[in-house]
Amino acid sequence: VVPGETALAFYKAKNPTDKPVIGISTYNVVPFEAGQYFNKIQCFCFEEQRLNPQEEVDMPVFFYIDPEFAEDPKMAKVDLITLSYTFFEAKEGHKLPLPGYQ
Amino acid sequence: MSTAMNFGSKSFKPRPPDKGAFPLDHFGECSAFKEQFLECLRQSGSESSACRPRAMAYLQCRMERRVPGGRPGRGESFLRKVQLMANEPLEKLGFKDLIDEKSEAKPEK
Repeated sequence: VVPGETALAFYKAKNPTDKPVIGISTYNVVPFEAGQYFNKIQCFCFEEQRLNPQEEVDMPVFFYIDPEFAEDPKMAKVDLITLSYTFFEAKEGHKLPLPGYQ
Repeated sequence: MSTAMNFGSKSFKPRPPDKGAFPLDHFGECSAFKEQFLECLRQSGSESSACRPRAMAYLQCRMERRVPGGRPGRGESFLRKVQLMANEPLEKLGFKDLIDEKSEAKPEK
């Protein structure tokens, strides 16, 4: 991935149960310091997504790394940035613990 | 592995996406485009730059499709149709150079 260039990535999610699941996801970036340079244009996160029983879907993320990443001396040794997602089951009336997100 | 639960001063602050969320492609309408894109990544050794035309094709597919959709649990019928991706000029999605190449190639045809 080239900083400044838009890029596409795919995740896959499966609901292995026999009931529909409504989930909501949040993400994490490591190394921590690279997270400020990670910009999502569009993804599947932060909104409720419904998966039917046994359903498997592709989940795209369209993003770019801020070009200033290449100028930051602290990032000089970073050649791998890992993006991960955690799905929570959305329950009616349940407040999700999404740190820092209003 | 859960989200970073440090007790130190640093904690990861998630930010929402600029253009919101992609509706799920429940019926795999754009799966063929996705497969072509992933095939390109496999062949190029995961070079994102090399596969930008196919990424663009995938997003175009999304913009052209309307599928039954709607937010669950809010009293809405699933017969409402939503685009798989809101229309956005491709130049604004970082594909300006690819569009310029295409329009330059046209007069020669």
